[in-house]
Amino acid sequence: MADQAVLPPGRRAERAGGINETVDPDEADDLTSLRAILVGPAEQKIQALQARIDDRFAQARDVGAVLPQALLHRASDPELARALTPPVERAITASVRRDPRPLADALFPVIGPAIRKAVSASLASMVESLNRTLEHSLSARAMQWRFEALRTGKSFGEIVLLKTLLFRVEQAFLIHRKTGLLLQHVRAGPAHVEDAQLVSAMLTAIRDFVQDSFRVPEQDSLDALKVGELSIWIEQGPGAILAAVIRGTAPPALRQVLQRSLETVHLQHAEALDAFHGDAEPFEATRPVLEECLATEYRPETERRRHGGLIFISVLLLALAAWAAFAYRDYRRWNGYVQNLRNEPGLVVISTGRANGKYVVAGLRDPLARDPRALLQQAHVPPDDVVGQWEPYHALLPGFVLPRANAILRPPSGTNLTFQDGVLRADGNAPAAWLADAARMAPLIAGVSRFDPSPAVQARVQSLTRALEQATLLFDRGSSQLRSGQEPQLREIAAIINELGSLAPAANRTFRIDVVGHTDSDGSLQSNLPLSTTRATRAIAALGLQRSEFLVVSPSGVGSDDPVVPGVSETEKQRNRRVAFRVTVDPTGSGESTRR
Amino acid sequence: MIQKKVCMLGGFAVGKTSLVSRFVRSIFSDKYLTTVGVKIDKKTVKAGDREVTLVLWDINGQDEFQDVQESYLRGTSGYLLVVDGTRRETLETASQLQQKAEAVSGKVPFVVVLNKSDLATEWQVDERGIVKLAEQGWPIVRTSAKTGEGVEETFLKLTLAMLEG
Repeated sequence: MADQAVLPPGRRAERAGGINETVDPDEADDLTSLRAILVGPAEQKIQALQARIDDRFAQARDVGAVLPQALLHRASDPELARALTPPVERAITASVRRDPRPLADALFPVIGPAIRKAVSASLASMVESLNRTLEHSLSARAMQWRFEALRTGKSFGEIVLLKTLLFRVEQAFLIHRKTGLLLQHVRAGPAHVEDAQLVSAMLTAIRDFVQDSFRVPEQDSLDALKVGELSIWIEQGPGAILAAVIRGTAPPALRQVLQRSLETVHLQHAEALDAFHGDAEPFEATRPVLEECLATEYRPETERRRHGGLIFISVLLLALAAWAAFAYRDYRRWNGYVQNLRNEPGLVVISTGRANGKYVVAGLRDPLARDPRALLQQAHVPPDDVVGQWEPYHALLPGFVLPRANAILRPPSGTNLTFQDGVLRADGNAPAAWLADAARMAPLIAGVSRFDPSPAVQARVQSLTRALEQATLLFDRGSSQLRSGQEPQLREIAAIINELGSLAPAANRTFRIDVVGHTDSDGSLQSNLPLSTTRATRAIAALGLQRSEFLVVSPSGVGSDDPVVPGVSETEKQRNRRVAFRVTVDPTGSGESTRR
Repeated sequence: MIQKKVCMLGGFAVGKTSLVSRFVRSIFSDKYLTTVGVKIDKKTVKAGDREVTLVLWDINGQDEFQDVQESYLRGTSGYLLVVDGTRRETLETASQLQQKAEAVSGKVPFVVVLNKSDLATEWQVDERGIVKLAEQGWPIVRTSAKTGEGVEETFLKLTLAMLEG
């Protein structure tokens, strides 16, 4: 009862022993004050927090303050990317529809590099494909595969693919689980596909058939089919099924790829899957996700094959290099040969080329020029590899005119021909007959504009003169008769004199030949003088000389005044019974006709 | 392009397969019917300005000894109940199949197809039974697989009903 007295009337306070006790007002105030002291600050904070929670603008401010850090904190989380993708896509779509320029301006700096990167990737892929094609086009194995392609009627590309492919996901079907209708279908390259909608439905029917036939739990549904080289891997989600058609043997890791793709589809299109009533349009966006499943992996080359290929390619390259080196060597040799031909006097190269696997050179050749085949040897060009087509011609070079003149005129021994400035000159002791022939023929020789025989004529004249002036004809004692046995001398002397006569026109001279008779010392002066003159006259007659307007032959006698040898022996006397010859040269026109 | 799954139900040899064979695209042979128990065909129907692709599940014929696989009915947007007009009992089978389909797929559109209308002299289905079904609101179309009568109308009718639903 004492307790009731302290409680304010009408108030009840909860106590340990009961709940309907009356609480004294003063005590209640105290309690209120005490509570305010103890929990007042906390209550105020709670109220402030409640106010913040109720205030949506404040919430937005709070979330906005931490949102950047939160996004940064989970930046690598794929779930965040997937969650953000739909609203970001919608925002971009709305922005582009409203005004495409801001986005175009923003993308401008990245479009160029992106295009370059795409082109680069495409080129890299092409190069990889080219490498693979080359690799499989040049090996012995490729020959085998080509034969197999011929045998089986398949294309070479198909055979290469079958032999080198480890696995390839050729198609992926995204199928609505409940209806079996096709939501999306992608395929790799030219993979063969029947009607995807029908395949999708039939695949679902087969799964249902297996499921029902063997009464397996739903979570253990059919997840793989295999037919020959083809496998169908099936991943099942709550709303959709992903079926991948695989050629070859895929690694188990591919399952994870398929699962991730299916999870992504469910994450991004959960609502569309639930609301699906036959319109597959919303699932067009799943195409990139499904295309990630279209993996391809080629069979790694074994070391032996790689080495074999490398050796083959190395040998091929070496062979090519050797061929190129030989070809280059031959090319240089041939060029050197042609250059030598061009430099060779008497040869004119008109054209060069190749025909029927051989080098061909055509041109003009002086008969006196070097044989082009000799130059072939010098240039190390096999003669069998070259066809020469040479037409004859006369080179006008001095080096060719002189040999040509020598070849044609054939100067006698002791006679030289020289050639300078178009003039062919003869020098040395040459017979008059040759000089006459040379004078007739020389102007006809190509390159010779004039023939000058004067040095040879002069030398011949001197030679003949010396010979004539040393010659004598002997007579019997006291007689004007020539001693017997002197016919050879007579012919020789006659020939000398006749030759002098024939040389006179070329020498532009007239020759006076004095035939002087002599006697021995026997007899008187009166008798010897006429005898000597008679001997001269008889000698001229015996010579039988030809007429020449450039030759004057005169007899004279000196008796015994000019003995060739002094002495009185018979031998010495015989030598003095003679006629001798003296030659005098006059300019043309001053002489007389030959007298006999 | 809208797709719809459509099941074709009916007793044994009522002519389901023959009914549509001339009007659908098919890549699978009939042997699927006897092995897997279903054959998939495709039919495109133009309903107004909309094209609808019907993926037809031709489910193997059923009789009292053969139960339809319920899983094939799952997710169907509509179905055809095919009755052989020359065999009275197939109407009863169709009625049972309708109940089963409704149990699996709920109330989805369907059309009762009275097939073999060209065999009038052999007709056995009681007209009163047909009228009774019509009074229940079941859409009914008479068809002939032989002449093609009513086939296009059947698909159009079902398609329109599915689009409305």
